Amino acid sequence: MSSKSRDQKSAGAGLVDRRSALAGIAAGTAAAVAPFNIVKAQAKVLKIGVILPRSGVQAFFGQSCAKGAEIAEEVLRQVGYDQKFEILNADFESNVDVARSRAERLINDGAHVLVGPFDSGAAMAIAQVTEQKRVPFVCNIAAVPQLTEQGYKFVFRIFPTSVDLVRNGLLGFKDVFAATGKTPQTAVFMHINDTFGQANKAAIDKLFPAANMPFKILDTIAYDPAARDLSVEVAKAKATNADLLMVVSRLNDAILLVREMVKQRWEPMGIMSPGSPGMYEAQFFQTLGKYSDYAVSVVPWYNPTTKLSALVGSAFNKKFPKDSLVGNIFNVGFTFESIMVAVDAFKRAGTTDPVALADAIRQTDLANRLMIGGPIKFDAKGQNMNVGSAVLQNFNQRPSVVFPKEAAEAAPVFPVPGWSQRA
Amino acid sequence: MSRMLRRLGEGVSNRALVALGLVFAALLLAPLVSNGYVLSVLIIALYYAYAGQAWNVMMGFCGQLSLGHSLYVGVAAYAAAIFFVKWNVPPVIGMFAAIAVAMAFGAVIGFLAFRFSVSGVYFALLTIAFAEFTRIGFDHFTWAGGSGGFFLKVEDRAADLITLRGPPIMFYYVMLALTALAFLFCRMLTQSRVGYYWFAIREDQEAAQALGINVFRYKMLAVIVSSGMTSLAGVFFAFYYNNLFPEQIFSMARSIELILGPIIGGLGTLFGPILGAFVLTVLADLVTEVLVFTGYDIPGVKQVFYGLCLAVVVIWLPLGIWPPLKRRLGLEGRS
Repeated sequence: MSSKSRDQKSAGAGLVDRRSALAGIAAGTAAAVAPFNIVKAQAKVLKIGVILPRSGVQAFFGQSCAKGAEIAEEVLRQVGYDQKFEILNADFESNVDVARSRAERLINDGAHVLVGPFDSGAAMAIAQVTEQKRVPFVCNIAAVPQLTEQGYKFVFRIFPTSVDLVRNGLLGFKDVFAATGKTPQTAVFMHINDTFGQANKAAIDKLFPAANMPFKILDTIAYDPAARDLSVEVAKAKATNADLLMVVSRLNDAILLVREMVKQRWEPMGIMSPGSPGMYEAQFFQTLGKYSDYAVSVVPWYNPTTKLSALVGSAFNKKFPKDSLVGNIFNVGFTFESIMVAVDAFKRAGTTDPVALADAIRQTDLANRLMIGGPIKFDAKGQNMNVGSAVLQNFNQRPSVVFPKEAAEAAPVFPVPGWSQRA
Repeated sequence: MSRMLRRLGEGVSNRALVALGLVFAALLLAPLVSNGYVLSVLIIALYYAYAGQAWNVMMGFCGQLSLGHSLYVGVAAYAAAIFFVKWNVPPVIGMFAAIAVAMAFGAVIGFLAFRFSVSGVYFALLTIAFAEFTRIGFDHFTWAGGSGGFFLKVEDRAADLITLRGPPIMFYYVMLALTALAFLFCRMLTQSRVGYYWFAIREDQEAAQALGINVFRYKMLAVIVSSGMTSLAGVFFAFYYNNLFPEQIFSMARSIELILGPIIGGLGTLFGPILGAFVLTVLADLVTEVLVFTGYDIPGVKQVFYGLCLAVVVIWLPLGIWPPLKRRLGLEGRS
């Protein structure tokens, strides 16, 4: 692989003289307007366009995902992929309009397959371009169900839909109750009212009645993603006297929520999320300290006990010594696996022809995985059929796997200690 | 008709007309030498040029600062998309409903503001407030998908202007036509009595009122015309992107994006919004390309470029890029 890593770029960095700058402008313009600069299908190097929100409001997540792409070469070589591939990076600036043009740009630059983009809206925009250009698109993270419901032939998603997320989430709740022998009778459901939260709420509405859950939901409270204060919502939730707080959150609101619960001294049996981010992220631990402990999230996660995860961990620590894999694993894991799907398809297809690659991706059967779940296999709509979730519980300000048993690092604790009882 | 054409060309130098013709011809032929990427960038540039032109009617001509124009884009996008998806009404008809809805919103905002003498910063805040609570409303409007988004079925078919389904090149020409028509319409407005009243209100509202101009009526007209024009950008947005999310389409950031073009190009000018949109969109992309080519892959460089453009314009070119450029090119009108 000849990945244009950040290090390589900075090595060549220096002052650019006027002549170089003019040459650069000329070349940039020429490259930008070169009509249909599509690399021939017989190319021996697979070009993977990785499109992520590396700037803008989602920059943190985009840059976290990018780390998964940066370690891919080293790890994949160690597990037997000696195919050459090149990563072409694109930043869609957390802007759906830009996502579409960046996808066009990557394809013009010769990308044989696109990977990304950590955003449902952007994924929908990119899918239109890849379908039109007949270039495979492996979606790393985006839960919007419609992505694989449009009849696209070149779109594949390794991430679960919101329905799968919630289904796994509710099953994970039951595992915790069974293991601890304690079951809540009632719950209050709080969710962020954005695309992700709404999709999860719809999935809960759909699945909950048939899931035979041991508790009933007393109230559902939605809050605005831009909310800076959740005191009213938390007071309302507390007033229900529910045993359990079930939450679909993102990072900032998860922090606000717990802060407010501590302030209002609301101590339900536990806080559990059936498949949302926030409560297992580094910022959550840094901001809340001991109050971040014992929160439960049932989310797609890596299996820390496999050989592949050890390789990923080692490559990650080498490349990003100041960063923590656990704090990035969700984004790193799905991005890494998306690239693995592309490279695996290239290996089997033996060509970079996008149509042949799409056919090969459709036949994917990847058992050697980083993330928890069965082998990666796509259904007729392009959706990965085997996405598992882990039950994470926070202990000592880090998330630990408590289920499934084969990946468990600790035993679950439920009900959780009160705020004042935490060390 | 000939009188109208004569009025459109009044005061415009031959040199300016030739230059305008050349620019239009270049845009007309651009797809012939563009790849998919360049075409998509040009579509975005034209989209911002058009929307900026629509906003310019309100702020540039009449002096009413709106920071919530994403409201009109959003409600029109939803209206046209809902008509199409739920009742199979093609956008060529649905756009009239979209225009009507956007104008109704504009009229309500205008009435509340101008009837109760809300002006300046407070008027701007009112426009933001409307955009914000409409976003929250759509977040809870589950019939239209709520915050989970509203989706149009994507179909791979030949260009169909009735249903606005087709390849990007069709959207390019639709946007080019809209931008050209908006340019001519705005030229017509600035040459009309309404336009002169607007300029008078912009320069000194009290003086305009003292001269007998019905300030309330003409300010309302500016808001309604501007919101109606902006609504077509919303219809385009819905059918080009095929998915609508309240948090994206009604966002404050989108409102700011819409107004950067006219501010940088030249507020109150006809060509400023177009020039500003192209400077921001095309040049910003070119800057990114050049940096990548020279080995600097810096995420967010485009936003830095936007900031620099804004700083340069605010400090050294307070009238925008177009007025001094026009002088330099000798394109100023005949007096």
